[in-house]
Formats: sequence, structure tokens, C-alpha cells
Amino acid sequence: MTDAPLLCVRDVTVRFGGLVAVGGVSFDLHAGEICALIGPNGAGKTTLFNAVSGNVVADGGSIRFRGEEIAGLTPHEISARGARRTFQNGGLFSELTALENVLVGLHAQVGSGFFGLLFGRRSAAAESSATARARELLSLMGIASIADHKAGALSGGQQRMVEIVRAIATDPPLLLLDEPAVGLAPAARQQLTGVIRDLARSRNIGILLIEHAIELVMSVADRVIVLNDGHKVADAPPEQVRADRAVLEAYLGHA
Amino acid sequence: MSRRFFWLLPLLLLLPVPLLLNPYQQYVLNTALLYVPVGIGFNLVVGNLGLLAFSNVAYFGLGAYTSGVLMAQLGLPWWLTVVPAALAGGIGGAIASIPALRGVRLFYLAIMTLAFGELMRWTYIRWEALTGGSMGMAVPTATLFGWSLDSDLRRFYVFLPLVVLIVAITDRLLRSRFGRAFLAIKDNEIAAAAMGVPTDRYIVLAFAWGGAVVGVGGAMFAISVGHLTPVSFDLTELIRQFAIIMVGGLASLTGAIIGAAIITAAPQVFISFPGFEELVFGLLIVLVILFLPRGIASLLARLHPAFVERYYRD
Repeated sequence: MTDAPLLCVRDVTVRFGGLVAVGGVSFDLHAGEICALIGPNGAGKTTLFNAVSGNVVADGGSIRFRGEEIAGLTPHEISARGARRTFQNGGLFSELTALENVLVGLHAQVGSGFFGLLFGRRSAAAESSATARARELLSLMGIASIADHKAGALSGGQQRMVEIVRAIATDPPLLLLDEPAVGLAPAARQQLTGVIRDLARSRNIGILLIEHAIELVMSVADRVIVLNDGHKVADAPPEQVRADRAVLEAYLGHA
Repeated sequence: MSRRFFWLLPLLLLLPVPLLLNPYQQYVLNTALLYVPVGIGFNLVVGNLGLLAFSNVAYFGLGAYTSGVLMAQLGLPWWLTVVPAALAGGIGGAIASIPALRGVRLFYLAIMTLAFGELMRWTYIRWEALTGGSMGMAVPTATLFGWSLDSDLRRFYVFLPLVVLIVAITDRLLRSRFGRAFLAIKDNEIAAAAMGVPTDRYIVLAFAWGGAVVGVGGAMFAISVGHLTPVSFDLTELIRQFAIIMVGGLASLTGAIIGAAIITAAPQVFISFPGFEELVFGLLIVLVILFLPRGIASLLARLHPAFVERYYRD
């Protein structure tokens, strides 16, 4: 881990009307680190996550990504800066093929603008090199065979893999995974765990992960942040969190 | 490359066709031709981008009146009015995209864009000095570099290359990352933005390009009919244009071409029964939705791989 954090969240607050969904949460995430965000339903995990990806605008606090303030930027601007996300349910373009999904992921890198497209020849070259890259990424994940299948027709595990490939196609330094294991069979879950670990270790991607599957969190996360009622109640390595009294209370209610 | 040659053949076959037709049939052929860009523009927004915007007739009228007024008032030759007509249609499209940018979707967007079209029709009626009001205005005979386009036969040979150009450029647009981004926005707008697609910019682009293309269709319409009245841009016209993309096939260039041909030709069968037109459109839409929900283009795609469009899904 390097010294300067990749993502630096400070006192982030998000309100929905009178409801404080996230109330002043701070944490850091370093390159190559896997950080899991857990907590009971309604704890503010997804809201905090959406604030980082730009899908929700924070009412207060600061979110710095690679030293730059990103709070207030649009999702596509944040994506372009290298913070990419997946979605909890069906984030794929179901009518497009797996390959085309990855190509949309590479959108910003497929060259030319509108007028360049109409008059230039460069766009065809950019398109074919992007296609080659997308195929290569799919085969690295072992799903080259489904490249030309419609995403909507793939199994849950395959869809999750395509979505991850789509997100990492641009070599982003930060990956936000929103409940990647939901609805997956044990074997697919196992495979996913390996993929997440590998992305952090060999590609040095910082990963922020929301997950309810606690055994996955415990086996893959370097650090676990526990939210309850919009507040951070724990931020520690998994083995410590497991023994934490505040965490037990958050999940089981006050004794 | 083979795909290009495949399209070259029917095009070459089409070239001598008007010579074999009588003047009325030539007029019908030109009408089918001018409805190709009209269908393409509509389909781009409704089919590819997936937004229910019903302001297509507004761009059509803007293009037609821009061309007609520039010819009648300033004495410009028709070919010099084609680009202004495209600009007027494109600006109309950009304006119509504003509610969509504010997050208006589905029926709300449909009604707001419908209102825009009606507002434009009201403008043609009221702005009598330019448009001649509800009595309409005569469009001077078009000329092309001194060559008078005073017959449907002559107009055909100007319309055809123009339409081919529009089809070719739009095809190129839809086969690029832009076309893919349009489909991605239709499928899942939030995910598209998360993948770095500037969704707002693309919505404006699709509306503006669609509007510009329809505007060119309007300029063709102006000289084809020779007389512009606001009645030509009413809700019946919208139904006709909607029928084109529904019958031809949503999100399909081939669909827009087939739809334009069928929706122009079908009413000719019932020419001696006035008022039957709408009935024919309605019947065609119902039949296609029942038996070919993806339009006639989907049937062609099944028959021959050359008709399969990359940006089209069935």
C-alpha cells in the first residue's frame, strides 16, 4: 500500500428530506486495498456508495479521489476519472452482447467525436482496437465463449463477470462493487472471490465493496467498515470486526 | 465491403425505375423517398435512444417552411435552403430534448413533445406574413444550378442521392460508439453514465441529428408538393410518421426505408375512398404488432444476413 490514499472520504453527509441517510462518515481507501462496507438494511451503505460514484449528491463533506475533489461531479465525469462501479441488480445492457457491453465500458477510449466520425477514418481503427481489447479482457476472465451472446441471456454468474470486465476495461484505479455476490451459486461465489482478490493484488485496484455475504467479506476484505443508522461504528480488519461489540449490536439490536 | 456492394445493387436497379412510371407514380415514389429521412430521424430518437418524443412533425414542418420561405421571400435556389432546413430541424430537435434532459420520460415526455409539434403548427397559422397562414403559401419552382426541378422525374434524381447520403451518414453514426451509446442509454441510462457515457450530451445529439435529417425531408416535401399549409403538419401526419417506424421496425435503418415505402404506397390502394388513409395506417400498425412486433425489418433480417444491422436487436 502506498502512503497517499486513493480515496479520501471526509464527513460525508447525505439527507433525503428530513432523513439523514449518511451522517458524517469518513474513511480512506488505498490502492490495492479491498475494503468492505457492511451493515444492516437501511444503514446507508448504498447511499454512501452512490455518493462516491456520483449517483447521489452529498449534502456535506468532501470526497477526494487521487487528490481531486469529486463530490458534485456527474457519474460519467467520475467514471472518466477512473472510479468505476457495478450495480446490485442487472447493471448490464441486456439487449447488447457481452462484447458490446464491454465496448460501452471502453466508450471514452473509442476515439473520435461526432464530426471526426463523419469525415475521418481514425474511428474505424479505434473501434477495432477497442474490440480486440474487449475480447482479450473477456478471455482473461475465461468468458470469451459468450462474447457474442446477449447479456440478458447469460447466467447470473456470467453477467456478474461481464459487468466486472466492463468496469475494469479502462484500467481504473478504483472499483466500486455493489453486492457482487447476490444471487450467485456457491461455485460462482468462490470464483468471484478469487477474481476480486486478484484485481486488488495483481492490478493494484482499490476496491470498495458492499456485501451481505459475510463469509465472502471475511475471506476477501483487508478492512471492514460497519455502518449503522448512517454512522460508522467500526473500521478494522475483519477478524477484529467479528469480535466487535458495536457490530454485534448493529446486527442483533441493543441487548 | 461486401455489405456495401449488397446495397449498391438495389440502388442501381432503382435508378431507371421512374422512367417506367407515369407522373403520378413518380410523385408517389418521391414521397416515399422523402419519408425515408423523416422515418430515420424519428427512429433514431424513439427506436435507438428509446425516448417517446412525438415532435417529429415539428422538425418536418420547420424544415419545410424554412426551405419554402427562404425560396419565396429571399429567392434562394432550393439547394441553398437544404442546409438551413436541416439546421432549423436540428435546432427544433435540440429544443424538444430539453424536457428529456430535465428527466421527463414516458407519457409525460410524449405529451410535452406533442405539444411542441402543435405549437409549431399554431405558429405556421399565425405567422401569416411568412407562411401565408392557414391558406398556405406557394413554393417557387426549385432550381439546381440553373436546372429547373419542375417535374417529379427531375426531383427524383436529386432526392435519391440526398437520401442515400443521409442513410450512409446515419448508418456510420449508428455503427460507431455513438450508436452503441444510444442503445446503452435506452437499456439502462444510469449504467451508461457509470460507464463514462455523457448521457445528456448524447440525448441532445440524437434529437438534433434526428431533427436535422427530418428537416431535410421537410425541404424535399416543400418542393415536392409545391404548396405548404399547416394542415400538412397535424396529428394525422404524426400518425403517418409513427406508422412508418412501427411498421418498418424500431431502431432500424432498413425499417425506416421499408416503412416509408409501405406507408406511402398503402393508401394509394384506397385512393378512391377518402378518409381511409388513417384506417390503413391503424390496420397496418395492428397487424405488424400482432405478427411482427419488431417490424418488417426483422423479417428481412431473418431472410438474409445482409439485412442484420449491428445496432438493431430482435
